[in-house]
Amino acid sequence: MIKISKLIHDYIQRDEEGNPSGTIRAIDDVSLDVSPGQFIAILGHNGSGKSTLAKHLNALLFPTEGAVWVNGMDSRDQSLLWDIRQTAGMVFQNPDNQIIGQVVEEDVGFGPENMGVPTEKIWQRVEESLKTVGMYEYRKKSPNRLSGGQKQRVSIAGVIAMHPKCIIMDEPTAMLDPSGRADVIKAARKLNLEENITIILITHYMEEAIQADRVFVMDNGKIAMQGSPREVFSQVERMQELHLDVPQVTLLGHLLRKKGLEIPEGILTREELSDVLKKLKKGNRQ
Amino acid sequence: MGISLEKVSYVYEQGTAMQTSALQEVDLEIPDNQFIGLIGHTGSGKSTLVQLLNGLLRPTSGRVLYNGKDIHADGFDKKALRANVGLVFQYPEHQLFEVDVLSDVMYGPRNLGLDEAACKKRAKEALANVGIKEKYFKTSPFDLSGGQKRRAAIAGVLAMNPRILILDEPTAGLDPRGRDEILGLISEMKKNLSMTIILVSHSMDDVARYVERIVVMGHGRKIYDDTPKNVFRHYRELENLGLSAPQITYIMNTLRESGMDVETDALTVEEAAAEIMRKLK
Repeated sequence: MIKISKLIHDYIQRDEEGNPSGTIRAIDDVSLDVSPGQFIAILGHNGSGKSTLAKHLNALLFPTEGAVWVNGMDSRDQSLLWDIRQTAGMVFQNPDNQIIGQVVEEDVGFGPENMGVPTEKIWQRVEESLKTVGMYEYRKKSPNRLSGGQKQRVSIAGVIAMHPKCIIMDEPTAMLDPSGRADVIKAARKLNLEENITIILITHYMEEAIQADRVFVMDNGKIAMQGSPREVFSQVERMQELHLDVPQVTLLGHLLRKKGLEIPEGILTREELSDVLKKLKKGNRQ
Repeated sequence: MGISLEKVSYVYEQGTAMQTSALQEVDLEIPDNQFIGLIGHTGSGKSTLVQLLNGLLRPTSGRVLYNGKDIHADGFDKKALRANVGLVFQYPEHQLFEVDVLSDVMYGPRNLGLDEAACKKRAKEALANVGIKEKYFKTSPFDLSGGQKRRAAIAGVLAMNPRILILDEPTAGLDPRGRDEILGLISEMKKNLSMTIILVSHSMDDVARYVERIVVMGHGRKIYDDTPKNVFRHYRELENLGLSAPQITYIMNTLRESGMDVETDALTVEEAAAEIMRKLK
Protein backbone atom coordinates (compact mmCIF):
# COMPACT_ATOMS: atom_id res chain seq x y z
CA MET A 1 0.00 0.00 0.00
CA ILE A 2 2.76 2.39 1.01
CA LYS A 3 6.40 1.97 0.30
CA ILE A 4 8.99 4.40 1.55
CA SER A 5 12.52 3.97 0.37
CA LYS A 6 15.50 5.78 1.88
CA LEU A 7 13.46 8.91 2.44
CA ILE A 8 15.28 12.09 3.39
CA HIS A 9 13.54 15.38 3.97
CA ASP A 10 15.33 18.66 4.61
CA TYR A 11 13.50 21.82 5.65
CA ILE A 12 15.15 24.97 4.35
CA GLN A 13 15.83 27.62 6.97
CA ARG A 14 15.72 31.22 5.84
CA ASP A 15 17.30 34.35 7.31
CA GLU A 16 15.51 37.66 7.86
CA GLU A 17 15.70 38.60 4.17
CA GLY A 18 14.22 35.25 3.20
CA ASN A 19 17.44 33.87 1.76
CA PRO A 20 18.18 30.22 2.43
CA SER A 21 20.59 30.02 5.38
CA GLY A 22 20.73 26.31 6.07
CA THR A 23 18.74 23.12 6.28
CA ILE A 24 17.27 20.97 9.03
CA ARG A 25 17.03 17.25 8.35
CA ALA A 26 13.58 16.22 9.55
CA ILE A 27 13.57 12.74 8.01
CA ASP A 28 16.85 10.89 7.81
CA ASP A 29 16.98 7.76 5.66
CA VAL A 30 13.66 6.15 6.51
CA SER A 31 12.46 3.03 4.72
CA LEU A 32 9.24 1.23 5.53
CA ASP A 33 6.49 -0.83 3.95
CA VAL A 34 2.83 -0.89 4.83
CA SER A 35 0.68 -3.69 3.40
CA PRO A 36 -2.95 -3.14 2.38
CA GLY A 37 -5.34 -3.44 5.31
CA GLN A 38 -2.72 -2.96 8.02
CA PHE A 39 -3.26 -0.81 11.09
CA ILE A 40 -0.03 1.03 11.78
CA ALA A 41 0.80 3.28 14.72
CA ILE A 42 3.61 5.81 14.58
CA LEU A 43 4.92 7.13 17.90
CA GLY A 44 7.61 9.68 18.62
CA HIS A 45 8.24 12.77 20.72
CA ASN A 46 7.51 16.31 19.50
CA GLY A 47 9.96 17.11 16.73
CA SER A 48 10.87 13.47 16.03
CA GLY A 49 9.74 13.75 12.41
CA LYS A 50 6.49 11.79 12.50
CA SER A 51 4.24 14.53 11.12
CA THR A 52 6.76 15.29 8.38
CA LEU A 53 6.70 11.61 7.49
CA ALA A 54 2.89 11.58 7.46
CA LYS A 55 2.74 14.55 5.10
CA HIS A 56 4.80 12.61 2.57
CA LEU A 57 2.15 9.90 2.46
CA ASN A 58 -0.42 12.05 0.76
CA ALA A 59 1.95 14.27 -1.18
CA LEU A 60 1.73 17.38 0.99
CA LEU A 61 5.52 17.19 1.19
CA PHE A 62 7.96 15.70 -1.30
CA PRO A 63 11.19 13.79 -0.72
CA THR A 64 14.48 15.68 -0.73
CA GLU A 65 16.02 12.29 -1.49
CA GLY A 66 14.56 8.80 -1.73
CA ALA A 67 11.01 8.06 -2.76
CA VAL A 68 7.48 7.39 -1.54
CA TRP A 69 5.01 5.19 -3.40
CA VAL A 70 1.33 5.23 -2.51
CA ASN A 71 -0.47 2.27 -4.01
CA GLY A 72 2.32 2.09 -6.58
CA MET A 73 2.19 5.81 -7.44
CA ASP A 74 5.45 7.71 -7.09
CA SER A 75 4.82 10.99 -5.24
CA ARG A 76 7.58 12.68 -7.24
CA ASP A 77 5.36 12.44 -10.33
CA GLN A 78 3.34 15.68 -10.24
CA SER A 79 0.69 14.28 -12.59
CA LEU A 80 -0.28 11.70 -9.95
CA LEU A 81 -0.77 14.26 -7.16
CA TRP A 82 -4.57 14.19 -7.08
CA ASP A 83 -4.75 10.43 -7.43
CA ILE A 84 -2.40 10.06 -4.48
CA ARG A 85 -4.41 12.43 -2.30
CA GLN A 86 -7.58 10.58 -3.19
CA THR A 87 -5.98 7.23 -2.34
CA ALA A 88 -4.45 8.39 0.93
CA GLY A 89 -6.73 10.72 2.90
CA MET A 90 -5.53 12.72 5.86
CA VAL A 91 -7.16 13.65 9.18
CA PHE A 92 -5.45 16.35 11.24
CA GLN A 93 -5.33 17.23 14.91
CA ASN A 94 -7.73 20.16 15.06
CA PRO A 95 -11.22 19.39 13.74
CA ASP A 96 -12.05 23.10 13.61
CA ASN A 97 -9.47 23.66 10.89
CA GLN A 98 -10.87 20.90 8.69
CA ILE A 99 -14.58 21.55 8.64
CA ILE A 100 -15.82 24.08 6.12
CA GLY A 101 -19.48 23.28 5.47
CA GLN A 102 -22.40 25.01 7.19
CA VAL A 103 -24.22 21.70 7.52
CA VAL A 104 -22.62 18.36 8.35
CA GLU A 105 -23.76 16.57 5.16
CA GLU A 106 -22.52 19.41 2.93
CA ASP A 107 -19.13 19.27 4.60
CA VAL A 108 -18.84 15.55 3.98
CA GLY A 109 -19.95 15.99 0.36
CA PHE A 110 -17.27 18.58 -0.36
CA GLY A 111 -14.53 16.05 -1.15
CA PRO A 112 -16.45 13.88 -3.63
CA GLU A 113 -17.93 17.01 -5.23
CA ASN A 114 -14.42 18.31 -5.86
CA MET A 115 -13.54 14.98 -7.43
CA GLY A 116 -16.39 15.39 -9.90
CA VAL A 117 -18.57 12.58 -8.55
CA PRO A 118 -22.15 12.84 -9.97
CA THR A 119 -24.63 14.44 -7.56
CA GLU A 120 -26.75 11.41 -6.67
CA LYS A 121 -23.60 9.37 -6.06
CA ILE A 122 -22.32 12.15 -3.76
CA TRP A 123 -25.41 11.85 -1.55
CA GLN A 124 -25.05 8.10 -1.48
CA ARG A 125 -21.42 8.43 -0.38
CA VAL A 126 -22.28 11.06 2.23
CA GLU A 127 -24.92 8.79 3.71
CA GLU A 128 -22.60 5.77 3.82
CA SER A 129 -19.70 7.72 5.30
CA LEU A 130 -21.76 9.35 8.03
CA LYS A 131 -23.28 5.98 8.95
CA THR A 132 -19.81 4.40 9.16
CA VAL A 133 -18.64 6.92 11.78
CA GLY A 134 -21.99 6.95 13.59
CA MET A 135 -22.86 10.55 12.72
CA TYR A 136 -25.77 10.04 10.29
CA GLU A 137 -28.38 11.39 12.70
CA TYR A 138 -26.44 14.66 12.85
CA ARG A 139 -26.38 15.17 9.06
CA LYS A 140 -28.61 18.28 9.10
CA LYS A 141 -26.81 19.92 12.04
CA SER A 142 -24.35 22.76 11.97
CA PRO A 143 -20.80 21.49 12.68
CA ASN A 144 -20.37 24.37 15.16
CA ARG A 145 -22.86 22.72 17.46
CA LEU A 146 -20.98 19.42 17.67
CA SER A 147 -18.48 18.28 20.29
CA GLY A 148 -14.82 17.87 19.39
CA GLY A 149 -15.11 14.09 19.01
CA GLN A 150 -18.19 14.46 16.81
CA LYS A 151 -16.46 17.07 14.64
CA GLN A 152 -13.46 14.82 14.27
CA ARG A 153 -15.72 11.95 13.17
CA VAL A 154 -17.29 14.30 10.59
CA SER A 155 -13.76 15.07 9.33
CA ILE A 156 -13.14 11.34 9.03
CA ALA A 157 -16.45 10.89 7.17
CA GLY A 158 -15.31 13.65 4.79
CA VAL A 159 -12.20 11.61 4.07
CA ILE A 160 -14.06 8.29 3.73
CA ALA A 161 -16.48 9.86 1.23
CA MET A 162 -13.55 10.14 -1.16
CA HIS A 163 -13.20 6.34 -0.98
CA PRO A 164 -9.55 6.27 0.01
CA LYS A 165 -7.62 3.03 0.36
CA CYS A 166 -5.61 4.47 3.20
CA ILE A 167 -6.24 7.08 5.91
CA ILE A 168 -3.46 8.88 7.74
CA MET A 169 -4.49 10.29 11.10
CA ASP A 170 -2.11 12.82 12.61
CA GLU A 171 -2.91 13.00 16.34
CA PRO A 172 -6.66 12.92 15.71
CA THR A 173 -7.50 12.66 19.42
CA ALA A 174 -5.12 15.24 20.88
CA MET A 175 -7.84 17.83 21.49
CA LEU A 176 -10.67 15.53 22.52
CA ASP A 177 -12.25 14.48 25.80
CA PRO A 178 -12.10 10.78 26.82
CA SER A 179 -15.34 9.72 25.16
CA GLY A 180 -14.47 11.69 22.01
CA ARG A 181 -11.11 9.91 21.91
CA ALA A 182 -12.71 6.50 22.35
CA ASP A 183 -15.24 7.19 19.56
CA VAL A 184 -12.58 8.29 17.09
CA ILE A 185 -10.37 5.27 17.80
CA LYS A 186 -13.39 2.98 17.52
CA ALA A 187 -14.25 4.52 14.14
CA ALA A 188 -10.67 4.01 12.94
CA ARG A 189 -10.71 0.37 14.09
CA LYS A 190 -14.01 -0.22 12.32
CA LEU A 191 -12.79 1.25 9.02
CA ASN A 192 -9.78 -1.00 9.23
CA LEU A 193 -11.63 -4.22 10.09
CA GLU A 194 -14.83 -3.81 8.09
CA GLU A 195 -13.79 -1.69 5.11
CA ASN A 196 -10.23 -2.99 4.98
CA ILE A 197 -8.89 0.56 4.82
CA THR A 198 -5.23 0.86 5.73
CA ILE A 199 -4.87 3.08 8.80
CA ILE A 200 -1.77 4.99 9.82
CA LEU A 201 -2.31 6.49 13.25
CA ILE A 202 0.12 9.01 14.69
CA THR A 203 -0.45 9.51 18.39
CA HIS A 204 0.98 10.56 21.75
CA TYR A 205 -1.38 8.24 23.61
CA MET A 206 0.45 4.95 23.99
CA GLU A 207 -2.72 3.02 24.87
CA GLU A 208 -4.14 3.87 21.42
CA ALA A 209 -1.30 1.94 19.80
CA ILE A 210 -1.83 -1.43 21.49
CA GLN A 211 -4.31 -2.62 18.87
CA ALA A 212 -2.05 -1.79 15.95
CA ASP A 213 -0.60 -4.54 13.77
CA ARG A 214 2.73 -2.82 13.83
CA VAL A 215 4.26 0.10 15.73
CA PHE A 216 7.01 2.39 14.48
CA VAL A 217 8.83 4.70 16.87
CA MET A 218 10.52 7.76 15.38
CA ASP A 219 13.42 9.64 16.91
CA ASN A 220 15.55 12.32 15.38
CA GLY A 221 14.15 11.69 11.90
CA LYS A 222 14.93 7.98 11.98
CA ILE A 223 12.98 4.87 12.86
CA ALA A 224 14.32 4.03 16.31
CA MET A 225 12.17 0.99 17.05
CA GLN A 226 9.63 -1.13 15.22
CA GLY A 227 7.67 -4.27 15.85
CA SER A 228 4.41 -5.56 17.26
CA PRO A 229 2.96 -3.48 20.12
CA ARG A 230 4.19 -6.18 22.52
CA GLU A 231 7.72 -6.10 21.16
CA VAL A 232 7.88 -2.31 21.33
CA PHE A 233 6.20 -1.79 24.71
CA SER A 234 8.31 -4.55 26.32
CA GLN A 235 11.18 -2.10 26.21
CA VAL A 236 10.01 0.30 28.92
CA GLU A 237 13.37 1.96 29.57
CA ARG A 238 14.13 2.39 25.87
CA MET A 239 10.73 4.06 25.32
CA GLN A 240 11.38 6.43 28.23
CA GLU A 241 14.76 7.34 26.72
CA LEU A 242 12.85 8.31 23.59
CA HIS A 243 10.68 10.70 25.69
CA LEU A 244 7.76 8.31 25.41
CA ASP A 245 5.75 6.09 27.69
CA VAL A 246 4.19 2.68 27.67
CA PRO A 247 0.53 1.97 28.51
CA GLN A 248 0.02 2.08 32.30
CA VAL A 249 -0.83 -1.61 32.51
CA THR A 250 2.48 -2.39 30.80
CA LEU A 251 4.31 -0.11 33.22
CA LEU A 252 2.57 -1.72 36.19
CA GLY A 253 3.64 -5.17 34.97
CA HIS A 254 7.17 -3.87 34.56
CA LEU A 255 7.25 -2.45 38.12
CA LEU A 256 5.91 -5.71 39.59
CA ARG A 257 8.55 -7.63 37.67
CA LYS A 258 11.21 -5.36 39.15
CA LYS A 259 9.83 -6.09 42.60
CA GLY A 260 10.49 -9.75 41.95
CA LEU A 261 7.22 -11.14 40.56
CA GLU A 262 7.42 -13.49 37.60
CA ILE A 263 5.60 -11.31 35.12
CA PRO A 264 6.63 -11.14 31.47
CA GLU A 265 7.45 -7.76 29.92
CA GLY A 266 4.99 -6.32 27.42
CA ILE A 267 1.67 -6.93 29.16
CA LEU A 268 -0.82 -5.02 27.01
CA THR A 269 -4.23 -5.39 28.60
CA ARG A 270 -5.59 -5.50 32.12
CA GLU A 271 -7.12 -8.92 31.46
CA GLU A 272 -3.66 -10.27 30.64
CA LEU A 273 -2.27 -8.85 33.87
CA SER A 274 -5.13 -10.30 35.85
CA ASP A 275 -4.53 -13.78 34.34
CA VAL A 276 -0.82 -13.67 35.09
CA LEU A 277 -1.42 -12.56 38.68
CA LYS A 278 -4.03 -15.28 39.21
CA LYS A 279 -1.56 -17.93 38.13
CA LEU A 280 1.07 -16.46 40.47
CA LYS A 281 -1.34 -16.52 43.37
CA LYS A 282 -2.19 -20.17 42.76
CA GLY A 283 1.51 -20.96 42.59
CA ASN A 284 2.02 -19.26 45.97
CA ARG A 285 -0.63 -21.37 47.66
CA GLN A 286 0.72 -24.70 46.52
CA MET B 1 -10.32 34.13 51.04
CA GLY B 2 -10.35 33.22 47.37
CA ILE B 3 -13.22 32.99 44.94
CA SER B 4 -16.72 31.80 45.68
CA LEU B 5 -19.56 31.18 43.30
CA GLU B 6 -23.06 31.43 44.73
CA LYS B 7 -25.81 29.78 42.68
CA VAL B 8 -24.23 30.95 39.46
CA SER B 9 -26.11 30.31 36.22
CA TYR B 10 -25.07 31.38 32.77
CA VAL B 11 -27.17 31.45 29.63
CA TYR B 12 -25.64 32.18 26.23
CA GLU B 13 -27.60 34.40 23.83
CA GLN B 14 -30.46 34.83 26.24
CA GLY B 15 -33.73 35.85 24.66
CA THR B 16 -32.79 34.60 21.18
CA ALA B 17 -33.65 31.38 19.36
CA MET B 18 -30.10 30.19 20.08
CA GLN B 19 -30.52 30.49 23.86
CA THR B 20 -28.38 27.82 25.56
CA SER B 21 -28.01 27.28 29.24
CA ALA B 22 -24.32 26.62 29.95
CA LEU B 23 -24.26 26.64 33.75
CA GLN B 24 -27.01 25.98 36.24
CA GLU B 25 -26.86 27.09 39.87
CA VAL B 26 -23.26 26.25 40.54
CA ASP B 27 -21.87 26.77 44.05
CA LEU B 28 -18.11 26.56 44.30
CA GLU B 29 -15.41 27.60 46.76
CA ILE B 30 -11.88 28.19 45.47
CA PRO B 31 -9.66 28.76 48.53
CA ASP B 32 -6.07 29.97 48.59
CA ASN B 33 -3.24 27.55 48.02
CA GLN B 34 -5.01 24.51 46.62
CA PHE B 35 -4.29 22.32 43.58
CA ILE B 36 -7.64 21.69 41.88
CA GLY B 37 -8.45 19.63 38.79
CA LEU B 38 -11.46 20.74 36.75
CA ILE B 39 -12.80 18.06 34.43
CA GLY B 40 -15.83 17.71 32.22
CA HIS B 41 -16.84 16.59 28.74
CA THR B 42 -16.88 19.03 25.83
CA GLY B 43 -19.81 21.35 26.44
CA SER B 44 -20.03 20.53 30.17
CA GLY B 45 -19.68 24.17 31.11
CA LYS B 46 -16.09 24.13 32.34
CA SER B 47 -14.86 26.83 29.94
CA THR B 48 -17.81 29.02 30.88
CA LEU B 49 -16.98 28.43 34.53
CA VAL B 50 -13.36 29.45 33.99
CA GLN B 51 -14.39 32.68 32.25
CA LEU B 52 -16.76 33.50 35.11
CA LEU B 53 -13.95 33.05 37.63
CA ASN B 54 -11.92 35.95 36.32
CA GLY B 55 -14.82 38.14 35.31
CA LEU B 56 -14.63 37.67 31.54
CA LEU B 57 -18.28 36.65 31.70
CA ARG B 58 -20.99 38.05 33.96
CA PRO B 59 -23.37 35.50 35.50
CA THR B 60 -26.96 35.55 34.24
CA SER B 61 -27.94 34.96 37.86
CA GLY B 62 -26.04 34.34 41.09
CA ARG B 63 -22.88 36.03 42.35
CA VAL B 64 -19.13 35.64 41.94
CA LEU B 65 -17.24 36.84 45.01
CA TYR B 66 -13.52 37.55 45.23
CA ASN B 67 -12.30 37.79 48.83
CA GLY B 68 -15.92 38.25 49.81
CA LYS B 69 -16.71 41.08 47.38
CA ASP B 70 -19.07 40.80 44.41
CA ILE B 71 -16.84 41.24 41.35
CA HIS B 72 -19.67 42.75 39.30
CA ALA B 73 -20.68 45.31 41.94
CA ASP B 74 -20.10 49.00 41.15
CA GLY B 75 -16.63 50.17 42.03
CA PHE B 76 -15.04 46.70 42.04
CA ASP B 77 -11.54 46.83 40.58
CA LYS B 78 -11.72 44.29 37.74
CA LYS B 79 -8.24 45.06 36.57
CA ALA B 80 -6.85 43.95 39.92
CA LEU B 81 -9.04 40.85 39.74
CA ARG B 82 -7.61 39.87 36.38
CA ALA B 83 -4.09 40.34 37.68
CA ASN B 84 -4.93 38.12 40.63
CA VAL B 85 -6.70 35.43 38.65
CA GLY B 86 -4.43 34.47 35.77
CA LEU B 87 -5.76 32.47 32.86
CA VAL B 88 -3.52 30.43 30.57
CA PHE B 89 -5.51 29.46 27.49
CA GLN B 90 -5.12 26.31 25.43
CA TYR B 91 -2.08 26.42 23.16
CA PRO B 92 -0.87 29.62 24.88
CA GLU B 93 2.22 29.71 22.64
CA HIS B 94 -0.06 30.97 19.85
CA GLN B 95 -0.26 34.22 21.79
CA LEU B 96 3.47 34.93 21.87
CA PHE B 97 4.18 37.98 19.78
CA GLU B 98 7.06 40.13 21.04
CA VAL B 99 10.57 40.46 19.54
CA ASP B 100 12.24 38.53 22.34
CA VAL B 101 11.27 36.28 25.23
CA LEU B 102 11.88 38.83 27.99
CA SER B 103 9.78 41.54 26.31
CA ASP B 104 6.99 39.07 25.74
CA VAL B 105 6.81 38.19 29.42
CA MET B 106 7.05 41.91 30.37
CA TYR B 107 3.92 42.72 28.36
CA GLY B 108 1.53 41.74 31.18
CA PRO B 109 3.19 43.69 34.02
CA ARG B 110 3.54 46.68 31.69
CA ASN B 111 -0.21 46.66 31.22
CA LEU B 112 -0.58 46.76 34.98
CA GLY B 113 1.19 50.11 34.87
CA LEU B 114 4.41 49.01 36.57
CA ASP B 115 7.64 50.84 35.76
CA GLU B 116 10.25 49.30 33.45
CA ALA B 117 12.54 48.03 36.22
CA ALA B 118 9.69 46.38 38.11
CA CYS B 119 8.40 44.76 34.89
CA LYS B 120 11.83 43.39 34.14
CA LYS B 121 12.22 42.03 37.64
CA ARG B 122 8.86 40.27 37.53
CA ALA B 123 9.53 38.87 34.05
CA LYS B 124 12.89 37.46 35.13
CA GLU B 125 11.36 35.85 38.20
CA ALA B 126 8.54 34.35 36.13
CA LEU B 127 10.97 32.96 33.58
CA ALA B 128 13.09 31.48 36.36
CA ASN B 129 9.95 29.86 37.80
CA VAL B 130 9.16 28.14 34.50
CA GLY B 131 12.77 27.05 34.06
CA ILE B 132 13.79 29.19 31.09
CA LYS B 133 17.44 30.09 31.31
CA GLU B 134 18.81 33.61 30.96
CA LYS B 135 20.57 32.80 27.70
CA TYR B 136 17.16 32.60 26.00
CA PHE B 137 15.90 35.97 27.25
CA LYS B 138 16.92 37.82 24.07
CA THR B 139 15.88 35.00 21.72
CA SER B 140 12.80 35.43 19.58
CA PRO B 141 10.00 33.43 21.22
CA PHE B 142 9.38 31.82 17.83
CA ASP B 143 12.83 30.22 17.85
CA LEU B 144 12.15 28.29 21.06
CA SER B 145 11.19 24.60 21.00
CA GLY B 146 7.52 23.67 21.44
CA GLY B 147 7.82 22.92 25.15
CA GLN B 148 9.87 26.07 25.82
CA LYS B 149 7.34 28.23 23.95
CA ARG B 150 4.59 26.91 26.13
CA ARG B 151 6.63 27.65 29.27
CA ALA B 152 7.41 31.17 28.08
CA ALA B 153 3.70 31.74 27.50
CA ILE B 154 2.90 30.51 31.01
CA ALA B 155 5.58 32.87 32.36
CA GLY B 156 3.71 35.72 30.66
CA VAL B 157 0.72 35.08 32.91
CA LEU B 158 2.86 34.28 35.95
CA ALA B 159 4.53 37.70 35.69
CA MET B 160 1.22 39.29 36.66
CA ASN B 161 1.77 37.64 40.09
CA PRO B 162 -1.63 35.94 40.19
CA ARG B 163 -2.87 34.32 43.41
CA ILE B 164 -4.94 31.91 41.37
CA LEU B 165 -3.68 30.45 38.12
CA ILE B 166 -6.08 28.66 35.78
CA LEU B 167 -4.51 26.52 33.07
CA ASP B 168 -6.74 25.23 30.26
CA GLU B 169 -5.34 21.93 28.94
CA PRO B 170 -1.69 22.92 29.44
CA THR B 171 -0.43 19.57 28.12
CA ALA B 172 -2.51 19.38 24.90
CA GLY B 173 -0.38 18.25 21.97
CA LEU B 174 2.72 17.50 24.04
CA ASP B 175 4.54 14.16 24.01
CA PRO B 176 4.69 12.13 27.26
CA ARG B 177 7.99 13.67 28.40
CA GLY B 178 6.70 17.18 27.62
CA ARG B 179 3.53 16.40 29.58
CA ASP B 180 5.51 15.26 32.62
CA GLU B 181 7.76 18.32 32.44
CA ILE B 182 4.92 20.84 32.29
CA LEU B 183 2.93 19.12 35.04
CA GLY B 184 6.04 18.81 37.21
CA LEU B 185 6.68 22.50 36.66
CA ILE B 186 3.12 23.45 37.61
CA SER B 187 3.39 21.32 40.72
CA GLU B 188 6.65 23.07 41.69
CA MET B 189 5.10 26.49 41.08
CA LYS B 190 2.21 25.58 43.34
CA LYS B 191 4.67 24.62 46.11
CA ASN B 192 7.12 27.50 45.73
CA LEU B 193 4.62 30.31 45.16
CA SER B 194 1.84 28.84 47.36
CA MET B 195 -0.79 29.83 44.83
CA THR B 196 -4.04 28.12 43.89
CA ILE B 197 -3.81 26.20 40.64
CA ILE B 198 -6.85 25.12 38.65
CA LEU B 199 -5.90 22.54 36.06
CA VAL B 200 -8.52 22.07 33.35
CA SER B 201 -7.79 18.73 31.74
CA HIS B 202 -9.11 15.87 29.66
CA SER B 203 -6.41 13.55 30.92
CA MET B 204 -7.62 11.66 33.96
CA ASP B 205 -4.16 10.12 34.37
CA ASP B 206 -2.61 13.59 34.79
CA VAL B 207 -5.30 14.84 37.11
CA ALA B 208 -5.09 11.75 39.32
CA ARG B 209 -1.36 12.13 39.72
CA TYR B 210 -1.13 15.78 40.69
CA VAL B 211 -4.21 17.45 42.15
CA GLU B 212 -5.63 17.35 45.69
CA ARG B 213 -9.24 18.06 44.74
CA ILE B 214 -11.33 17.39 41.64
CA VAL B 215 -14.37 19.29 40.46
CA VAL B 216 -16.38 17.39 37.85
CA MET B 217 -18.75 19.33 35.61
CA GLY B 218 -21.48 17.66 33.58
CA HIS B 219 -24.27 19.23 31.54
CA GLY B 220 -23.79 22.63 33.18
CA ARG B 221 -23.88 21.36 36.74
CA LYS B 222 -21.30 20.52 39.36
CA ILE B 223 -21.52 16.74 39.70
CA TYR B 224 -18.66 15.87 42.06
CA ASP B 225 -16.33 17.97 44.19
CA ASP B 226 -14.04 15.75 46.25
CA THR B 227 -10.60 14.16 46.56
CA PRO B 228 -9.34 12.23 43.51
CA LYS B 229 -9.75 8.89 45.29
CA ASN B 230 -13.38 9.61 46.10
CA VAL B 231 -14.20 11.01 42.66
CA PHE B 232 -12.71 8.09 40.73
CA ARG B 233 -14.72 5.60 42.80
CA HIS B 234 -17.58 6.81 40.60
CA TYR B 235 -15.87 5.73 37.41
CA ARG B 236 -19.01 4.28 35.86
CA GLU B 237 -20.90 7.50 36.46
CA LEU B 238 -17.97 9.42 35.00
CA GLU B 239 -18.22 7.32 31.83
CA ASN B 240 -21.87 8.23 31.52
CA LEU B 241 -20.74 11.86 31.61
CA GLY B 242 -18.41 11.31 28.63
CA LEU B 243 -15.39 11.05 30.92
CA SER B 244 -13.38 8.17 32.23
CA ALA B 245 -11.22 7.22 35.17
CA PRO B 246 -7.42 6.96 35.09
CA GLN B 247 -6.15 3.79 33.38
CA ILE B 248 -4.93 2.59 36.76
CA THR B 249 -8.47 2.67 38.22
CA TYR B 250 -9.65 0.32 35.48
CA ILE B 251 -6.71 -2.00 36.01
CA MET B 252 -7.34 -2.28 39.75
CA ASN B 253 -11.07 -2.81 39.25
CA THR B 254 -10.40 -5.60 36.74
CA LEU B 255 -8.08 -7.28 39.23
CA ARG B 256 -10.67 -6.99 41.96
CA GLU B 257 -13.46 -8.34 39.74
CA SER B 258 -11.30 -11.31 38.85
CA GLY B 259 -11.09 -12.22 42.52
CA MET B 260 -7.96 -10.47 43.75
CA ASP B 261 -8.72 -8.69 47.00
CA VAL B 262 -7.02 -5.35 46.18
CA GLU B 263 -8.12 -1.83 47.11
CA THR B 264 -9.09 -0.10 43.87
CA ASP B 265 -8.29 3.48 44.82
CA ALA B 266 -4.63 3.65 43.74
CA LEU B 267 -3.97 6.82 41.75
CA THR B 268 -0.54 6.05 40.35
CA VAL B 269 1.19 3.00 38.93
CA GLU B 270 3.56 3.00 41.93
CA GLU B 271 0.67 2.91 44.42
CA ALA B 272 -0.95 0.11 42.43
CA ALA B 273 2.26 -1.95 42.40
CA ALA B 274 2.64 -1.53 46.17
CA GLU B 275 -0.97 -2.62 46.74
CA ILE B 276 -0.58 -5.74 44.58
CA MET B 277 2.66 -6.71 46.35
CA ARG B 278 0.94 -6.28 49.70
CA LYS B 279 -1.84 -8.70 48.66
CA LEU B 280 0.49 -11.29 47.17
CA LYS B 281 2.63 -11.61 50.28
